[in-house]
Amino acid sequence: MTRKGSDKTMNYRDLFSGIAFLIIGVTTVWMGNDFFADAAYVPIGVGTLMGAFSLPLIWRGMKSVLTTRAMTDSTTGHNMTTHPAPALVDHPARFTTTLGCCLVYYTALPIVGFYTTSALFITLLAVLLGERRPAVIAGITVGFITLLYALFAVVLKRPLPVEFFLAS
Amino acid sequence: MFESLLNALPVALQFGSLISLFVGTLIGILIGALPGLNPVMAIALMLPLTYGFDPIIALGLVAGIYNGSMYGGAIPAILLNIPGTPAAIATTFDGYPMTRKGEGGLALKTACWSSAIGGIVSALALMTLAPMLAKVTLAFGPAEYFWVAVFGLVSIAVLVGKDVSKGMLSALLGVIIGLVGVDAISGEERFTFDSLYLSGGFELLIVLIGLYAVPPVLEMAERRNESYFNSDSFRAKPSGGSLGLLRRHWRTWSRSSLIGVAVGILPGAGGNLAALLSYNEAKRKAPDPETFGSGNPVGVAAAESGNSADNAAAMIPSLTLGIPGNLVAALVLGALMIHGLQPGPQLFTRAPDVVFGFMWQMLLTAMLLLLLGGMVATRLFAQVLRMPSALLVPTTLVLMAVGVYTVNGNVTDLYVMLAFGLTGYLLNRLGFPLAPVVLGVLLGPMAEQNFRLTMLIAQNDWTVLFTRPISLGIVALLAVVLLSQLWKTLRHRRQSQDQAA
Repeated sequence: MTRKGSDKTMNYRDLFSGIAFLIIGVTTVWMGNDFFADAAYVPIGVGTLMGAFSLPLIWRGMKSVLTTRAMTDSTTGHNMTTHPAPALVDHPARFTTTLGCCLVYYTALPIVGFYTTSALFITLLAVLLGERRPAVIAGITVGFITLLYALFAVVLKRPLPVEFFLAS
Repeated sequence: MFESLLNALPVALQFGSLISLFVGTLIGILIGALPGLNPVMAIALMLPLTYGFDPIIALGLVAGIYNGSMYGGAIPAILLNIPGTPAAIATTFDGYPMTRKGEGGLALKTACWSSAIGGIVSALALMTLAPMLAKVTLAFGPAEYFWVAVFGLVSIAVLVGKDVSKGMLSALLGVIIGLVGVDAISGEERFTFDSLYLSGGFELLIVLIGLYAVPPVLEMAERRNESYFNSDSFRAKPSGGSLGLLRRHWRTWSRSSLIGVAVGILPGAGGNLAALLSYNEAKRKAPDPETFGSGNPVGVAAAESGNSADNAAAMIPSLTLGIPGNLVAALVLGALMIHGLQPGPQLFTRAPDVVFGFMWQMLLTAMLLLLLGGMVATRLFAQVLRMPSALLVPTTLVLMAVGVYTVNGNVTDLYVMLAFGLTGYLLNRLGFPLAPVVLGVLLGPMAEQNFRLTMLIAQNDWTVLFTRPISLGIVALLAVVLLSQLWKTLRHRRQSQDQAA
């Protein structure tokens, strides 16, 4: 990614994030209008300010995008794909794997139980993220879960989702 | 006030408090030593675990993690040229060249002593300045508190990051997040979309863990599975005696500690700025400035004492005004609120044991660094860097889940945490600073309540916001911050144009 390409992408991002903030600001003002008297002051004020501060971002983004487009058009003849945009996420596969595992973990937690789900989650995610030493995975998982059990069940006595095999 | 300070010493020296200081400092050094993990994340994770504890024990953990992590950040900075925390960037300049020269042991010892000295000076500043400022703030009414909250929010939004609009948008987003739920004054539901979950508003701790702890873990997950440490990195030569260090560095420590304290009091200025300013000043005053950057221990001493001196000083505006100077200070406010204590000048009279006890704890943890950061322990902490990231990611995520779940015993909180985590990750990538979001959540409601109280008292006469002398003073300060930023932006733009021409 060249410097120019990176800047161009950032400007697109500034433009889109500016529009997103403008929408949030306008929605806040619109919803704030329905609130009772003084409960509306701050939402309306904050929404208006958000809209106002998003404008320079949109303006700058648009100006730079148009400038870059004009420069690219004049030098490379309508070639706008010279510099592919850098991904917002560095490694989408690892990112989505982690997020997916988290969602499964949170869903399974109240059904399967805290310690079992956590042990499975650590093992599975470690393997998916590239750890290939079974002894290291098992050792750290067992050690960590034991530590959590000692802290939460024995010392702090905090109620955590009960294990499915212990539920009556 | 000094009587209260003395009375709080036995509280800070209680067995439970000492244990929490010890454990907190150890955790802090470990967290600081791991690149990608930071003290804010560690404290956010620890807070839910302290619900059932006495406030002084919870604050002891916070104090330990805070001071410990500042030194911990120096370990990978010196051994691997990777700053464990952003504040340790300046430590790499001379720390890593020292390791390459086989002086890693001396560099670590210098860093440990420097962190301890900086922390001690900072804690002493907190003990002396905070009570005085608290007395002044007793004269504050709702109008002054409104302006103080606005000042804290705007100055951090403007000073943190490079883009003022992005900083302000982050802060405003935080204020909107803080507005969600039932309005405390009118009882009106705002932005709840008829959801029972949202009517209670977002739990501060869940927002904090989501915004601050989740993004670094997601970033760590994206990297290839690797451990940072190999045995070649740690070649420690026996180092000189501690007295020799004291003789050699006392001037640097004194100067850097003062810089750190001054930077710490300013909202929005972090430990990295304190460290860089201290480093530059040490280089400027040194008889051999050309040796800086190639392994001069004075550089390590300046950077480490500077960043640690920022720690306790950042608590001065938090404890006296309820305006956090940095994110850890924001978490300390969160910890106080969780335990039913409202930060501000009244805290000094309502819970003197807690507030003064915390000041002693900051001092004690700075001293503990000398005990725990010794050579053998440092060698042990450096082993943490062996932990592969593929295992660090899931274990940290489980720790987050258990921390968030224990707040309300509600699984929905976990999804909310993840949603805030993704928001934080996205904002980070788009160049929006996260600190103003958190401060918006914290200070937004404070500003709103005081604004509405002022309007109620003054019967909607808004001129009252500008007629009281203290309010006017704060407005003037706000104007100075905004104008100086405007001047900086214009100067930067002119320089860029000159360069382009």
